[in-house]
Amino acid sequence: MTATALSPAAGTTTRMLTLLRDALLPILLVAEVIFFAVAAPAFLSAANLANVVINSADLALLAAGMTLVVLLAGIDVSVGPMLGVVAWVGATLFVSGLPPLLVVLVAVLLGGALGAVNAVLIVGGRISPIIATLGTAAVFKTVLFLLWNSTDVFAGPVVPLLGPARAGGVPLVGLVVLAVFAIFAYVLRHRVFGRRLFAIGNDAEGARLLGVPVGRTSFAAYVLVGALVGIAALIYVGRVGVVQATAGQELTLPAIAAVVVGGTSILGGEGGVLRSLGGLVFIALLQNGVVLMGVPPLWNGVLVGVAVALAVAFDVLTRRTLDKRIGERK
Amino acid sequence: MTTGALAGRSIRDRVGDRRVFLAVLVVVLGAVMSLLSPYFLQVSNLLAMTQYGAVIGLLALGQAFVILGGRGGIDLSVGSVLSLSGIVMGVLAQNLGLSPWLAAAAAVVLGALLGSVNGVMVARLGLPPLIVTLSTLFLYGALAQVLTEGGQLGGFDREGFAALGQSAILGVPTQVLLVLAPMFVLAIWAQNRTAFGRRLHQVGTSDRAAGLVGIDVNRLRFRLYCLSGALAALGAVVTNAWLLTARPSAGTGMELQAITIAVLGGIDIFGGRGHLSGVLLALAVVVVLSWGLQLAQVGNSVQTGILGLVLVGAALLNNLISRKAAG
Repeated sequence: MTATALSPAAGTTTRMLTLLRDALLPILLVAEVIFFAVAAPAFLSAANLANVVINSADLALLAAGMTLVVLLAGIDVSVGPMLGVVAWVGATLFVSGLPPLLVVLVAVLLGGALGAVNAVLIVGGRISPIIATLGTAAVFKTVLFLLWNSTDVFAGPVVPLLGPARAGGVPLVGLVVLAVFAIFAYVLRHRVFGRRLFAIGNDAEGARLLGVPVGRTSFAAYVLVGALVGIAALIYVGRVGVVQATAGQELTLPAIAAVVVGGTSILGGEGGVLRSLGGLVFIALLQNGVVLMGVPPLWNGVLVGVAVALAVAFDVLTRRTLDKRIGERK
Repeated sequence: MTTGALAGRSIRDRVGDRRVFLAVLVVVLGAVMSLLSPYFLQVSNLLAMTQYGAVIGLLALGQAFVILGGRGGIDLSVGSVLSLSGIVMGVLAQNLGLSPWLAAAAAVVLGALLGSVNGVMVARLGLPPLIVTLSTLFLYGALAQVLTEGGQLGGFDREGFAALGQSAILGVPTQVLLVLAPMFVLAIWAQNRTAFGRRLHQVGTSDRAAGLVGIDVNRLRFRLYCLSGALAALGAVVTNAWLLTARPSAGTGMELQAITIAVLGGIDIFGGRGHLSGVLLALAVVVVLSWGLQLAQVGNSVQTGILGLVLVGAALLNNLISRKAAG
């Protein structure tokens, strides 16, 4: 981008805004860590940080999947209840003695299949993503309730990697999360599939005219969300140890919050999984920090809600200002 | 629409009208339910049924207005607005000893204010309604929990306030006769016969065109969110008069019902198209369905899923019809 045609002042503002957009989250993260380190001495201990990783690993995978559909200017509000269904099936199969690796495979396939249900409705049925996933969220809740049938399923980690195990103080599940994010960061930046997601999110009609298979790509994105939910469900089982009637339902908003706070635009076409990881860390540390400070957990919803509203406001307002600046140049 | 145009409509058009379809659906569902349960058609049962419908009807009406206003309009926060304004009404009535009627008036004002927060973010700042109302859904719901620390409030059974939720006039539940029915009559009249109704459809169809004919698009849209909040708070007032307790989870999940009823009623999710009279019929369908399932001892948790299926089915139906109309 050249700034030659801009007046020097306008050019500086544009650069400042772009810089602020990219630097805001890291600055906030540092400020957050300093604040809690001072306010709650236990915060920076290795044990506490490992706990944060273990407690938010399932959420991290949901956020990775959510990023894909938000990039498409879509959304999936069914991930929480979907996780509940897969967690029940996975835990039940595991308890009944199925080999662990087979349980993992079934969980991923089942998650993918449930994601495909959303994909069929959204891509095939042309229902807006919020309506379709609001509907399937309700259906998944009921399915879990019927499966649960008044009996909690108790189960441990299916494989050590998906549980609270640590090697030399490092939680293994954190490595799974990092691997997933590394893969998706690479795919989004360097593979055709990833570039197509951005193209569709920016301008679906334009992408179609350029020959991007919009339907197939969107379909794959919703299926991938489901597959990630499948792995997250087993991490959930390993973390909580029991699957109850409303398992997973509390995870939907934090997953969306991580994506939005991370700076992936809810309007689509801009962002990435690493930003979502940053957003997730911000939210996970926030929730952990306030609990260490002795704030009742009931306040969690208030904090996350405010964080999302502020992040969206910031995103849309800077984006609009930037668009206007670029418009002036033309 | 002139009478000439009405007379000119073919039979096929009329059968294709969502309202005809919904009316037939109400009758068919009613017949099936009365076969399943001998209690279904008893007068006392019909009364209880409409009592239940009053609250979700108010939420669905607000939802329909917001969706009609277009540009991705949706209000996911209605259930939480209901919870929070109900709780604040409880704080005023129980902890401060205010008259329940005054507390109710204050709750409706609060509801409009909560809605105006959505309105400012959507209409003034231009933020996407989906994410704005999703964050207030959690924010307001969490505030309701924080205010009561998870407990519940009362203090409503004074000065004849309970009559609003627990009595009947000429066999019709008071909240239906004095709250729900007038609201729907007013809304349907406003949609079809006033300048507001015309502007609503213009704004919902095209921001640009509406702006060019001199409509203050943002102000109108802002008001729709305030209206939705106020109607949700009115739902809280009716709930409190009916159950005489305010719970922080009173409205949890009600956005599903409100959106389902609006979409089933034929309100186009992209705005500008649909009849509020259709929403009223969709309300009847959902109420008959829920109540019938209740009588058949199908629990709330299963009903949620059935409602989800209805929502998805209705959205598919809307698409099918609009594609046929386009092609």
